[in-house]
Amino acid sequence: MRVSEQPLTLDAVLTDEAVLSTYRRMFAALARDSGAVVDDPALVDIAETLFAAFAEAGEEWLTHEQMRFVCRAYPSDQFDNRLRVLKGLGAIREVFPKPNQLRYRASFTSVVGLMFIRRMMDDGGQSEMHRLLALEDLNVADPRTTMEEARQSAVNLARAFRLWALELITLTTGTIEELREQAPKLWGTEEIARRAQGLHGTILTRWPELDRVCTDLRAAIYAYSDASRRAAGRLADSAGTTRNLTLLPTETWRTFSQTASKERLAAVLDGVLFDAPAPWHDPAAIARAVDEAPRPAPAQPTPPRSHLPDPGPSGSLDSSPGAAMERLRSVAESLLGDSSRVALADVLGPDWPSARRLLADLTTVDLRPELPFRLTWSDELTVDPGREPAWLSHGWLERTS
Amino acid sequence: MSAAEGPDAHVRARSGGPLSLGAGVAAPAGMLRLTWPDATGQAVPVWPDGVTPSLLDEYQVAGVPVERAGETRRVLAAVLKCCWTDLTMDPWPGDPAPVELVLDTYRALIGRTDDLMRNWAIGALRRLHDSAWIVVDDGVVALGPRCALWPVESHAQLQELVRRLPEPERPDLTVVRDADIVAAARPAEAAPSPEAGVRVEGGAAEFDDLLGGYDERRRAELVAAFMVVEHAAEPVQEVRFAALRDPALRHTLGEMLARRGRVLIQHRDHWTSGYDDTLIAADVSTRLGVRERAVLTLVLVHSVAIPRAEGLLPEDSWLSPHPTPADELRRHTQLPIGELEAALRTLRHAGLLSQVKAGEEAGGYVPGPQFHRLTPAARRRLQEELILAAGPSTPLAAAVRARRSAQ
Repeated sequence: MRVSEQPLTLDAVLTDEAVLSTYRRMFAALARDSGAVVDDPALVDIAETLFAAFAEAGEEWLTHEQMRFVCRAYPSDQFDNRLRVLKGLGAIREVFPKPNQLRYRASFTSVVGLMFIRRMMDDGGQSEMHRLLALEDLNVADPRTTMEEARQSAVNLARAFRLWALELITLTTGTIEELREQAPKLWGTEEIARRAQGLHGTILTRWPELDRVCTDLRAAIYAYSDASRRAAGRLADSAGTTRNLTLLPTETWRTFSQTASKERLAAVLDGVLFDAPAPWHDPAAIARAVDEAPRPAPAQPTPPRSHLPDPGPSGSLDSSPGAAMERLRSVAESLLGDSSRVALADVLGPDWPSARRLLADLTTVDLRPELPFRLTWSDELTVDPGREPAWLSHGWLERTS
Repeated sequence: MSAAEGPDAHVRARSGGPLSLGAGVAAPAGMLRLTWPDATGQAVPVWPDGVTPSLLDEYQVAGVPVERAGETRRVLAAVLKCCWTDLTMDPWPGDPAPVELVLDTYRALIGRTDDLMRNWAIGALRRLHDSAWIVVDDGVVALGPRCALWPVESHAQLQELVRRLPEPERPDLTVVRDADIVAAARPAEAAPSPEAGVRVEGGAAEFDDLLGGYDERRRAELVAAFMVVEHAAEPVQEVRFAALRDPALRHTLGEMLARRGRVLIQHRDHWTSGYDDTLIAADVSTRLGVRERAVLTLVLVHSVAIPRAEGLLPEDSWLSPHPTPADELRRHTQLPIGELEAALRTLRHAGLLSQVKAGEEAGGYVPGPQFHRLTPAARRRLQEELILAAGPSTPLAAAVRARRSAQ
């Protein structure tokens, strides 16, 4: 535009050439060859890897071999293609322009351009639009700004909003999946619309003669707000209750939870009714809880002791090592007398307590291999209710040597 | 609060605890009237056919979890020991007793005297007071309206329990006698006349016209299903209850619930009950205070909204396996820590939050079992309110507002 209004001078051609080269450099990272844009994201990664290496190298610059080394993860034909394009577009240039130059440097513009493109890819340009609007706001308020510049900026904004709205409308009528993926990146918040309207107001107040351009801008802003609302409405309706919350980004939720006042948080649950606490305490459960109460360990009472000194019957027990054996031998001998075998039924007394004691002693005798006696039992069993013991299994005490 | 009719009254009683009744005003159907000497009273809901929530045990369905159940019930036993002085009468209303006497009785029961035990007991007293099992007022404890719900058959068990509880060993040096403390706290009742008529009046039978047509077995199945959907902590399986399986019985069950202002809520093959959305009047509000609601909103944002925004929580539910870290609530919100702790306590007690423990520091809070009971409409409304609050200027909020104004 400037070209047509100004006489075609060498300076003008040079300025245009400068703009063009800036453009070329900015999109060098995306170009497959000098005439087209890349179709493989890996190619952009190569550029980014190269720029990172250049930043690290500092004033050492990089040689071709070093560049190849940092990009060793990529196939060499891809790398060569990239380097050729980046060099061709001036994103990577010789440190000093002369033939057979070995060291290269990167262009600052290309790096900034790449950052911008990455950000655009992430949020679809929403935050870019915020920045742009903020900048334009400053620009039109600046006393040095000319009417022509303001007009240009209004025209650009109107075009951006129109294109944005068109894309949203296309999405709104398309598949719901696509809408869900894309729409939140595209739709504007009320803040964007408000800023744009503020900007529009500023331009119109300062340059009333731009009213036709401003009408265009106003219409574009309205169209955009309307398209945003329609897209959101369709999503809210179709997504049902399940996924609505996904339509607000995580950061919005975090900001809300960190900054909202107590009252604002509480207001969310104003219309929701919950039960008052009403646990049921069943009598049986109460009794069980009492039974299961952790109890302190009761102090154990010591058994009662006599106040008088009482040595007990300890003196009457012969505690010498052979005494027990000797006693058992005498018991057995007294029962056997001279004979080598005696029936148990004959030697047991008539009362059970003494018979019991005797049987215990004889069993011990039987189990002591060093004593020359043994018990042998028969299968015979006599039952006599009148006698004691009433049940009697017969057996003999025998001398073994 | 004036006496409301039918379902509305039940909604108020379920969300706000026992209703107060004016002098001479009859209790709504399905409620017990606890009458005071001046003819005013309180109304507490009762259950059909004389059952209590203990019925859930018979069906091996878990009821609403009681926080620190053992301790709470032991303290309730201590209160009963102190307040139920005449065992020939019904436990409610009993006689008021000083808090210190209850604490001494509890101390004798568990045999511990340290400060920690005292703090625990006071916490249990507060929980019992909040759930209307006891009334703590100015250092004096009395049995609360819910104690009138113990069935008469179980009184013998309670009498036996009270008899075997140990008497507290109290030093003779007590400066003020117990009776004086009670009398000082209740000057208005300084001269109570026993015949003035503190009494329990049964409410009108509520479901007889609905249940009368069924034989004993069906009737029992309906009552069982009614109790489990109303009182189980989680939705119950359809196959386990005939009255949920059979569409005709389920219809009757729905009518029974409707008389209490409730509706059946289905989660696939599980059922529970919730408030009927059409009955939630503007002036019926939940008893939760501002700080409790604020904390609950924060947990919903962290446990449900954020995981869902990240695609981790696909289902249409307000329950969540993603705990909100206690630290997040403590450090990254505008709530004072003191208020936060008190609110968390209240919310846990009401079953609105569950504590998740994991390791030493990790763990946190998730929405509690009460969130099973939100109807689809309530779930949607809650979601819209959250969106309106968190992103009031987003197109989504604009869409919500547009739809609401269109309705």
